Amino acid sequence: MTDTPLDFGDPADLDRLRREFRAWLAEHPLPERESGEPVPVFLRRWHRLLHSGGWVGLDVPERYGGRGLTALHQVAISDELGACRAPGVPRIGYLAHALLEFGSEEQRLAFLPRMLAGDEVWCQGFSEPGAGSDLAGMSTFAERHDDGHYTARGQKLWTSYAQYSGLCLLLARTDRSAPAHKSISAFVLPLDRPGVTVRPLRAANGDDEFCELFLDDVRIEESERIGAEGVGWALAMTTVSYERNALDTGHISKYGLLVERLRRHAAEHQGSLPDGLLSRIGRCVVDYEVLVAHARRRTAERLAGQVAGPESSVDKLLMTRTEQRLYDTALEVFPAELSGEGGELFGDYLYSRAASVYGGTSQIQRNIIAKRILHLPSNG
Amino acid sequence: MDREEFVLVRDMVRSLATRFGVTSAGEVKPSTRTAAQQALDELGLADLRRTSPPAATTQECALLAEEHGRHPLTTSLLGTVLLAPELLRLLRDDTPRSTPTIALTRELRFPGRRPTDLVAWDCEGADSALCVTADGVVSRLGLGPAAASTDLLRSVRAVPSDAPVEAVGHLTAPDRLRWQAYALVVVTAELVGAAGSFVEQAVEYARVRRQYGQPIGSFQAVQHLLADATVLVEACTSVTRYAAWCLDNEPPERALAAARVAKAEANSSALEAVYAGTQVFGGIAQTWEHIAHLYLRKVRLGSTLLATTADLLPALAVPEVTR
Repeated sequence: MTDTPLDFGDPADLDRLRREFRAWLAEHPLPERESGEPVPVFLRRWHRLLHSGGWVGLDVPERYGGRGLTALHQVAISDELGACRAPGVPRIGYLAHALLEFGSEEQRLAFLPRMLAGDEVWCQGFSEPGAGSDLAGMSTFAERHDDGHYTARGQKLWTSYAQYSGLCLLLARTDRSAPAHKSISAFVLPLDRPGVTVRPLRAANGDDEFCELFLDDVRIEESERIGAEGVGWALAMTTVSYERNALDTGHISKYGLLVERLRRHAAEHQGSLPDGLLSRIGRCVVDYEVLVAHARRRTAERLAGQVAGPESSVDKLLMTRTEQRLYDTALEVFPAELSGEGGELFGDYLYSRAASVYGGTSQIQRNIIAKRILHLPSNG
Repeated sequence: MDREEFVLVRDMVRSLATRFGVTSAGEVKPSTRTAAQQALDELGLADLRRTSPPAATTQECALLAEEHGRHPLTTSLLGTVLLAPELLRLLRDDTPRSTPTIALTRELRFPGRRPTDLVAWDCEGADSALCVTADGVVSRLGLGPAAASTDLLRSVRAVPSDAPVEAVGHLTAPDRLRWQAYALVVVTAELVGAAGSFVEQAVEYARVRRQYGQPIGSFQAVQHLLADATVLVEACTSVTRYAAWCLDNEPPERALAAARVAKAEANSSALEAVYAGTQVFGGIAQTWEHIAHLYLRKVRLGSTLLATTADLLPALAVPEVTR
């Protein structure tokens, strides 16, 4: 807990980086998505362009293709992108950190530079039909043979954009007798390997982001295992805590744009808006400003030397609150979005309902706060 | 202040709480109020915001207000130590002749155009009250008899309509914004401290209180209630601290906007957090002897202090011209 003064200001080098990035953006207009071009293909073009300017993997060491700066520098870039309505930075931060922390030197050199450059697209094979919140209950099994290779069998779910990915960070059980948290291992799986089937699912908002991944006796080499056998759970927890980090996603500035749109509407229609709706817009402004202040506080705490921990669950719940209330209010303010098959805002609204599910449900976040921050006793 | 100095000052407020924090409403008496206030006055903290530039930043003052709010203290740290001296500092008035607090309307809002229908708020040990009207005129008013307050820890006195009025000065337009922002931040910080401490006490209780043969804190329903309360306290903490920092570093318009946001967040979140804590304490929190209602009273009344949610949300919905 922070009970002494904090500096909420941007350090000078962060400010310089922001200005450099804005100058680069001015010279490199955002690519237009071509008609019929799938979102992930468009995003990959954007990824490569960003990488050509040196704006991907700022917090990854230089020898692996990054710039050797800090997570805060990466956050500043996400923030700038959101503020100019550009697509976010490629969501590879958490995968890169899994490899940095658990991969061998050989694996880091082989995978990281290509991941950062957008030459190889990765997806995440964690959840399963029977293992959602209870991730440790996964049943995909990788059987080890005498010569060291594995045969994997099972099914993964919610594997975002697997149909456009070349590699999958796969979790599978490698020990039938050890307790769940000690029996999971992590692998790099090329998705063109025999026995792998990818099937896209249509999401509630019509997108085909999510996929199912079927593994039918897929051969995985020993050299494709990341870290020792049994470290998969620790790797997953690291990955998820990065994934859940409200600061690392560029969402905040996206909310900011919608909040400003609501405020402009409120100013133009002040006389005709019902009082209740005006207050709801005010509430969205407050939620958003609270989130901005909260993110600045986390930055200040990190600069003061505090390491990231379970408080990212607090961050995620605050982000969820902001996003869900904001899009719900926006539909109330712009009712035309609800007519016909629904506008773009309606699609974003549908996606906002997933905020309390992905990256660990809100109930799981509350469990984490109760156990790891408040140290409340376990049941039984 | 450097960090060590700040920690020293904060610990003074903490030790004040060990000596004078009440453990139930029955201990709140005029004699104990006076003794506690004398001990606070002896610390000399009113000098923190008396000089220009001030010895303490707004953020440091907010942290002291937060610390004060954490404890069931009857002392007027806000009125006589943090708020009135800041007003005199902004006026560059260095006559050391009295101990004023601040005057608010009966509804506990900033006074309007005329200094009428006022109370002296948070006035333990105060001999007068400073009133800032909407156009920035500051006057010193004499005090009437003690008035009742639903916040049992807070001293309030009437300001009789025939009380002597002495002109003190005039705040410039930017200083008026600074004053309002500062007052909002300090008041909000105290509410955040109260809510945060009360939730911590409820967490502690959930660890030891047993039902069905186990601590109630092991039940998921109770855990989620306390987790949500923690998130609300963290939200208020971040936004209040940021608003205080803005006063130290940003133009006054920006600081006032941030302070309004902080008050709006705390009005609902600090109160929700106290409700959650009260729920965890169960039946015992419904008794006169238990400390819970002292926190509930402070935060419930506090959520109407200076600016209510109904005042703030419609105003925040439209962009300010100054932004």
